[in-house]
Amino acid sequence: MKTVVIREFGDVAVPCQYELDLRITAPRDCTGCWSCWLKTPGRCIHKDLDAFYRAYLAADKVIILANVSKGFVSGDMKTLFDRMIPLFLPYITYKSGESMHVPRYDKYPAVEAYYQGVFSSEQEKKLYEDYIHRVFYQFHSKCDVVEPIAQFSLKEALR
Amino acid sequence: MNILIINGSPRGKKGNTEIFVKHFALGIKAPCEIRCAANEGSKQLAEYSQLFDTVIIAMPMYLHAMPGIVMKIVEHMEPAEDGSQRIGFIVQSGFMESAQARYLENYLSGLAKQLNYTYLGTVIRGGSAGVSMMPENMNKKLFAQLKTLGEQFDLNGSFDKEVIKTMARPVNLSKGKCRMLQCMNRFGIGDSMFWRYMLKTNKAFDKRFDKPFRNSSGTT
Ligand SMILES: Cc1cc2nc3c(=O)[nH]c(=O)nc-3n(C[C@H](O)[C@H](O)[C@H](O)COP(=O)(O)O)c2cc1C
Repeated sequence: MKTVVIREFGDVAVPCQYELDLRITAPRDCTGCWSCWLKTPGRCIHKDLDAFYRAYLAADKVIILANVSKGFVSGDMKTLFDRMIPLFLPYITYKSGESMHVPRYDKYPAVEAYYQGVFSSEQEKKLYEDYIHRVFYQFHSKCDVVEPIAQFSLKEALR
Repeated sequence: MNILIINGSPRGKKGNTEIFVKHFALGIKAPCEIRCAANEGSKQLAEYSQLFDTVIIAMPMYLHAMPGIVMKIVEHMEPAEDGSQRIGFIVQSGFMESAQARYLENYLSGLAKQLNYTYLGTVIRGGSAGVSMMPENMNKKLFAQLKTLGEQFDLNGSFDKEVIKTMARPVNLSKGKCRMLQCMNRFGIGDSMFWRYMLKTNKAFDKRFDKPFRNSSGTT
């Protein structure tokens, strides 16, 4: 099984084919230029994530170790999500009863997210979890797990 | 009231958010400064915002939330000590239905609380990706709404509830509407028309389905 890790914290080694450590390489911010849709379809004007895109699409599973920042995903993590737009088509489908982007690729990895940090309320925690589920729903990935890091068990994740 | 409006679009002055901000500001007489997140350090801008009693962050919606550069400003914002500051938001987005922004709206109202600011509400307007490319007369209604919103804000220090409600329509897409939109796209007369036009203008139409990062089978 091919695994990709996206990490913002911790140093437990998770066996994987590719690791993106946001503490070492913060992705460049999306400029909103839409080149990835309308000028060079599928390619961002920034090249810093090219190896990541390739690994992500080849992976069976992506494990995200995310911080909680002001009750939400961090700015770096948010930028990474923004920068994943090139993996989808500009075209919109309404089949699910709401607007949604059409996939560009045939297959996307399953995603599991584990987070570290504190929330000021139960509501805030729920919103954080719902939000990550929603992003990967929009990204056509199966995402069953968004949990506190304490739930993370290596064996389970590599099953 | 002294107001800081932060334009949170990565496209800065060339984007749709700028147009929203400009028309909103037309209605405002109180001192009001506009700054762009795209051209400034997030920490500086967060610190600068403390000098104002009223802060409005306007932004495009990116993946059901704020763009990364806006979250980076938020990360640098400190809770207000005396609770006398106020914050409101203007969100515009590509998809038509404003319900797509419910995660963002929930987050922003919670954020105001976290920061000990009075929450002034969030204005949400879908279907706005083409605003900067549309002829003036097609934006007439929107511009009038934004100006009224600004005037009311100037008078009452809050967003007009009725205008917010009107701008948020449609909140959801009905089944019938989805079927119609899907059907229009199949015949190339829906929103896909816009993409086709842009792709052709850029001589990229033939490459529209490219998969540049697909792994050829068997290799890693
Ligand atoms: C990376 C990226 C993500 C986006 N995500 C969404 C989205 O989740 N929902 C939506 O309705 N529009 C989305 N949009 C569309 C923008 O919100 C819309 O085009 C907006 O008008 C851009 O404003 P600006 O020109 O001020 O930057 C996205 C655009 C980009 C570039």
